[in-house]
Amino acid sequence: MGFLINNKIYNSRLIIGSGKYKDFKQTQEALKASDAEMITVAIKRTNIGQNTNQKSLLDYINPNNYKILPNTAGCFSAEDAVRVSMLARELLNDNLIKLEVLADKNTLLPNEKETLIAAKELVGLGFSVMVYTTDNVLLANELETIGCAAIMPLASPIGTGQGIINKANIKKIIKNAKIPIIIDAGIGTASDATIAMEMGCDAVLLNSAIAMSKNPILMAKAMKHAVIAGRYAYEAKRMKLSSIAIPSSNKKNALS
Amino acid sequence: MNILINGKKFFSETDLTISEFLKKNNISENNIVVEINKEIITKNLWEKYKLNNNDKVEIITAVGGG
Repeated sequence: MGFLINNKIYNSRLIIGSGKYKDFKQTQEALKASDAEMITVAIKRTNIGQNTNQKSLLDYINPNNYKILPNTAGCFSAEDAVRVSMLARELLNDNLIKLEVLADKNTLLPNEKETLIAAKELVGLGFSVMVYTTDNVLLANELETIGCAAIMPLASPIGTGQGIINKANIKKIIKNAKIPIIIDAGIGTASDATIAMEMGCDAVLLNSAIAMSKNPILMAKAMKHAVIAGRYAYEAKRMKLSSIAIPSSNKKNALS
Repeated sequence: MNILINGKKFFSETDLTISEFLKKNNISENNIVVEINKEIITKNLWEKYKLNNNDKVEIITAVGGG
């Protein structure tokens, strides 16, 4: 059983980004290898003067086969994020949006105040809002209350690959939530994704961890299995930690 | 007529519709959205919608992003 967004069930709990790949072909291959059903795209200006035969990203990722999740990357105010969301809805004919309002170009951390303002407005406009946010427990709660479709707290800052910095907060966010919690940003390698899933996240969204690895296709496969392994482990419920060693074999019938 | 398209200045001596501008600049009509002065112009209007002097036009598409 997968997770639910906007009345649709996603069986793959891995969402990947489409940025930073060598070319569209590699994006396509990584997507296939990852088994992800949802892929993020950015909404930006087109190149003017390009050849009409030059293909675009959407020629490589068929919206009939994958759910395209447009983001509001590059927005630093609620006003801009709402504007980009409207453009995305027109382009893709879909009300799903990954809301991302950043505070500044150096930290790339979310601007909490503007994120909340934009989220409220977008929910009011009928968008299904998957919101990128900090690991602020109270803000996550508020974003759920106003009607967001999923809360997507960062593991660590975008593109850093540092894994989950504040596990305590992520645990609290998961515990409080009734909607999907998706770790977004900061995943560096497969074990980071597994840890997120073992903690009970509903899904993981990552981009650089695959695209910036030496072998993106192989890393896409690794992420696929990492997310599955983490989810299984979460559902299986891990053994209790023990401070003392306990033998694996029965003491009965020992030779001495 | 001076227009600003994706932040770049363009000059045209004659009137241009959105469709004519796209054709002239080899921009495919697929997978784009056109916004003029912060208002989205739906595709069905492109053939008739004439650009005006000092219009700020944005031609938007999906690109790689996370």
